[in-house]
Amino acid sequence: MAQRTGAKRLLASLAKTASARALLALAVAALCLFAGCGGGSGDSADSSAASQDQAAASPEGGGEAGATQGGAATEPDKAASGEGTKNAATPNGSSPSTSPSGHGSRLPQPKGAPEKAPTPQEVANSTVADMALQSPAIVATGGELGHLASTYTCDGKDSWPQLQWSGVPAGTAELALYLMNIQPVEGKLFVDWAVAGLDPSLTAIDAGELPKGAITATNSFGKRGYSVCPQSGETYMFILYALPQRLSPSQGFEPRDFRQEILAISRNAGLLPTVYERG
Amino acid sequence: MRTKQTALGAALAALAVLCAMFATSASAAPAWKFEGKALEGSEVVMGGAFESALTIPGLTTKCENFLYKLSIKNESGTGKGELTEMPLYNCTTNSSACLVNTIGAEALPYPSHLATFGTANYVIIEKVKVGIRYKGEECALGGILVSVTGSAGGEVNNTTEIATFNSTTLSASKTELKALSQKIEWSGVFPTEAFQWHREQALSVS
Repeated sequence: MAQRTGAKRLLASLAKTASARALLALAVAALCLFAGCGGGSGDSADSSAASQDQAAASPEGGGEAGATQGGAATEPDKAASGEGTKNAATPNGSSPSTSPSGHGSRLPQPKGAPEKAPTPQEVANSTVADMALQSPAIVATGGELGHLASTYTCDGKDSWPQLQWSGVPAGTAELALYLMNIQPVEGKLFVDWAVAGLDPSLTAIDAGELPKGAITATNSFGKRGYSVCPQSGETYMFILYALPQRLSPSQGFEPRDFRQEILAISRNAGLLPTVYERG
Repeated sequence: MRTKQTALGAALAALAVLCAMFATSASAAPAWKFEGKALEGSEVVMGGAFESALTIPGLTTKCENFLYKLSIKNESGTGKGELTEMPLYNCTTNSSACLVNTIGAEALPYPSHLATFGTANYVIIEKVKVGIRYKGEECALGGILVSVTGSAGGEVNNTTEIATFNSTTLSASKTELKALSQKIEWSGVFPTEAFQWHREQALSVS
């Protein structure tokens, strides 16, 4: 015992009780973590120091890349000229394209200005597709559009499927339903079906049936009613518009003109795309 | 005495094993690296696609150029980031009647992180919200604003330094973008490179 070192003596005395052993285990664990055995890549431990190093190496102005017009649109130019961004690894700001490592800028240099994002005012003045419009007869699978069964075309009964919706905003005075071709026909919007005067409390219509008060347009086939009859295949869009005021068109109304009236006041819509392929 | 020493040794051995397990699990998360070394501090990277297509159900919308700017860092060994800008250029639709009136990222920045699925590493962009407003008097979607929302995972190729986003990478990374309550496709091949401290350096993820 007399040969024990002071540390061993301390360990021996600490190990005498269970709580002391637990304390010892914690101390060893703390030592272990401090030594870095659980640090993964150790990035976090080094990051603050690294940040300081980088801050020290930081050129004035930082030269942070920008991806907007005047940013990304010009950034490749900046990169090529060595302006705008500076690199601790390449203090001379040499052109990436002449880099010995071959890691030059491969980003596209867009032509023209970037597209404008919708502004809050535009969003407020748009008809936003924020209502849910669905049909048990039109079911999308994966990224594929839901197919319209032939029974809902001129190859079958040529009448509409059951449609159901939700999310009609409070204050809606009237609902209008449209079915249109995505691709225009002879340069004109082709309306296969349009119905106005729907009660805002409705949440569905049955297949081939319309509620009392519904007003049906004369479609682009010249028929007052519904007709889907493409030459081969076609993509269609059912659109439900919520109208904050009643427009009350007359039976057989012209749907393209009426749609312009709708778009002027409607701020909410539900969209349901579908595709029909003949044969 | 010998028993106590043995117990102490066993406890230390157990701790060492626990430490080793912890270290292994921590290093499994992918991190941003430049020239093979883990990124320290932060960096700004940009990705740019020469063509990218966003397929709104029924109406394919393509953009000639599609850029993103990502502010990246490693946190506890895992790659993180924030997508701060995402300008789109020269966007068109597959309908002769429909023009893109406005299109752009809303509610920026989008948080992002790196993740491994299978043997591949992905950059995951979360809380994406892209607004598209179409115009055209003869366009069925004219005047309507459609939002694309969700998250997108792009596979990072360390050899080519390209992040590829498509239906396969979105599915593999358990991410999805939606519009009109439907899953939609977004495809784009984005060479990605640093534009701040590590310009010209090889970017990798592991």
